Parts: sequence; C-alpha cells; structure tokens
Amino acid sequence: MTSKILTSILRNHLTKKPNLLRRQPLSTAAAAELSDPQNHEETTAGITMKGVKISGRPLYLDVQATSPVDPRVLDAMLPFYLSQYGNPHSRTHFYGWESDNAVEHARSQVASLINASPKEIVFTSGATESNNISIKGVLHFYKEKKKHVITTQTEHKCVLDSCRHLQQEGVGALYLRRRPRIRVEPQMNGGGQERGIRSGTLPTPLVVGMGAACEVAMKEMEYDEKRISALQQRLLNGITDKLDGVVVNGSMERRYVGNLNLSFAYVEGESLLMGLKEVAVSSGSACTSASLEPSYVLRALGVEEDMAHTSIRFGIGRFTTEEEIDRAVHLTVHQVKKLREMSPLYEMVEEGINIKDIQWSQH
Amino acid sequence: MAAATTSSPSPSQILSLYRSFIRVARQFPDYNIREYTKRRAIDAFRQNAKLSEPSSISEAFSFGKSQLDVAKRQAVVYSLYVPPLPSVMDLPNKPF
Repeated sequence: MTSKILTSILRNHLTKKPNLLRRQPLSTAAAAELSDPQNHEETTAGITMKGVKISGRPLYLDVQATSPVDPRVLDAMLPFYLSQYGNPHSRTHFYGWESDNAVEHARSQVASLINASPKEIVFTSGATESNNISIKGVLHFYKEKKKHVITTQTEHKCVLDSCRHLQQEGVGALYLRRRPRIRVEPQMNGGGQERGIRSGTLPTPLVVGMGAACEVAMKEMEYDEKRISALQQRLLNGITDKLDGVVVNGSMERRYVGNLNLSFAYVEGESLLMGLKEVAVSSGSACTSASLEPSYVLRALGVEEDMAHTSIRFGIGRFTTEEEIDRAVHLTVHQVKKLREMSPLYEMVEEGINIKDIQWSQH
Repeated sequence: MAAATTSSPSPSQILSLYRSFIRVARQFPDYNIREYTKRRAIDAFRQNAKLSEPSSISEAFSFGKSQLDVAKRQAVVYSLYVPPLPSVMDLPNKPF
C-alpha cells in the first residue's frame, strides 16, 4: 500500500507537465504534489471503455441512481472500519458496547430527521428490503383479517411486485409506527436482531454513515434545496431557450428539485444517451435503466410511447456545480441539434407536415 | 467535539478560520468536493456574518473549527485515492 502511494506520488512528480498546471494558484507546494488532479499520465491519452474514448471522468448528473458519499459521512464511518470493529450485538466486551452505542446514536439521528422515536427505526439493507418488509410483512401478518393493498402505478418496482430486482446499497432504514402499533411478519429469520423484525448482524460502519448522512441532511436541507432548485431551473431554462420540442415529464410544481426528466421530440433516446458521453445521465427511472424498455413510470404518467423513448433523467445533487449545469446544457443542445439534422421526421415537421397524420402502414 | 469557549473569537481568529477553509478546499483532488467545500465555507461565513449574539458567534466558531478538522482529514484521504482519470471539468483542454 505504502509503496503504491509512493509510486503514485513519484509518477505525479515525473509526469508533471507545464501545460497541465492548474490555472488557479495553489497555496502550498506540498498540496500540489499530493493532490493536483491534473497530474495524470492518462490526462493527455485518456482511456477507451466500451468502445468510447474517454478523456476525463464525465460530469455526474445521475444522482438518482447513486450519489457521492459526503466527506463528512465518510469521516464518521472510517473509525468503524479501522479500530472500532466490534459486533454491535456482542454483549460481553468493550468492542461490542462501543459499536452498540454508535448504532443507537445513528438510530436517533435517523429518527430525529423524520420526527420519529428511535424505537420506530429498524435498520435494513436498503429501500428494497424496507419495502418488502412493510408490504409483504404487513400482508402476511394480517392475512387472516384483511387482504387488500392499495398502491399506485408510479411506485418503485420492488413495491409493485415481489421484487426479483435487487439493487441494494448496503444499508437502509424502515420506519414502523409504534402508536397505534403496526406489526409485520419478519422476512428474514435468525438471531433476532432489530427486535426480530430484521435478523442479521448490523454493519456498524454503514449504519453510522446513514446516521451521519441524516444529520448532515437535517443541517443542510434548506441550503441544499435552495441551491439545487436554482440549478434545476438553470438547466431547464438553458435547454428550452435553445431547443423546441422539449417536454418535461411529470409535474414541474410537484417535483423533487433534484430531478429533471425531459423528452426530446424527434430524437432517438439511445443515440442521445450515447452521444452524451461527457455527461453521466440515465433514461427513465433508476430501476429499469438496464433495459431499453421505456420506463413504466413514464407510461403511467401518461407520457406517449415515442416521447417516453427519448427521455433523459437529469439528477442534480449537493455537489453539482453551476459550471456543470452549463456544460450539460451546451452538450445536450449540441447533441439534440445534431441528431435532429439527421432526422427525416424533424425535416418533415419543419416543412409543416403533421407526423400524426402520416399513414405508416405498408402491404 | 465542540469545545465550549466562553469568550467570543476575535475578528482575526475568524478570518484565519475562513482562510484555512479556503486553503484546505483547494487540496481536494475531486472537482466536486473541492468546489463544494469552498462554496459551502464562503456561504456559511457570509450567513454567520449577520450574527450579533456573542454566544451564537462562539457556537458558530467552534462548529466551524470542528468542520475544518473534518475537511483537513478528508483532504488527506481523498488525496490518497485519486482516480486514474481526472474530471472533465478539470481538463486543461476541454473536449467540447
């Protein structure tokens, strides 16, 4: 490990090229040697992945898939990877006690974010498991008396069916009301941890991270929301000012500010996504991004089939910058224009032909 | 963590804390974390400039100090795991 770090520092020294130097001045030389992000031999060459030449890490606008860990959260987690590695369920020694304290502290951090009692919080492996426990668990527990569940078409897949799809982040939390008490049948049996609702040893570092993330969220929510909604507006205005035939999927008023789902008429969605290789975005909603099928959520929202095929989901997060939004606008506009120039459909629309009137059928 | 200080910090102590944040922010090799640290520190100091109550000033100051410690530690951690490719936002010749 040490030798690896040393070689990387050495390499940074050796490959330092004057034209790669950062434009803003650096305060200390030591910092420059250790951390100057531009001193990579890959910088000039880039790498090729999946047939695409990549010269730098794309700007990340896919925070609904996963988001970067906040350094404050990592800072809280690291001690539990390094020295405080006890099993929180060990009752017989100090290691267990300190981990148990950390888990209970995290539980209260999660609870205070959502105004609940720590006793109502059950740690799970993630949203998928939480939803499974709440739906299947309740259904099984009350199956003698009641057997109906009301849901909506726009819910996540794991809520809608018995979820063959597994995308687990590693940790999650489930809120189970105490008064009036809601009871569930456990979906996993074992050592009886988490009051028997979710057996299995808790991963202390992840649970601590979740607690820290909730605390940061509570402190930063107002600040983040203000900034992110301004960025969302900037992205929408930037694109619609320069392009016509752009439709926002879903309501603009009742929308989470960190998301913008747009459809671009007369553009093939996959080509657009592939053309935007400097921007990391997804089509549809996170759960179906592996398939080419348009999102069932978009379909349920009443988005027409052709428009659902051209949808792009932009996700904006705490770490997104104004410059990234401007760059994304520039690249998207450029790519959509380029694809439309090649599109016979768009040409026909420009000539005033209504696409919907065309008889496409052949013999 | 939060050192309970009874006396208010002097203007020069506050300025020095601010400068330390800007300095440590630059040490993050990650484009987004670097920009965030700088932006968040500037906004927090601007926001807290409105404080007049001595107790809330010293509270904000000691919170700031603990956050600076986090940033200093994490700047080291991030420097140890620099990804092989830099962000496109850090490239000297933008590919677009």
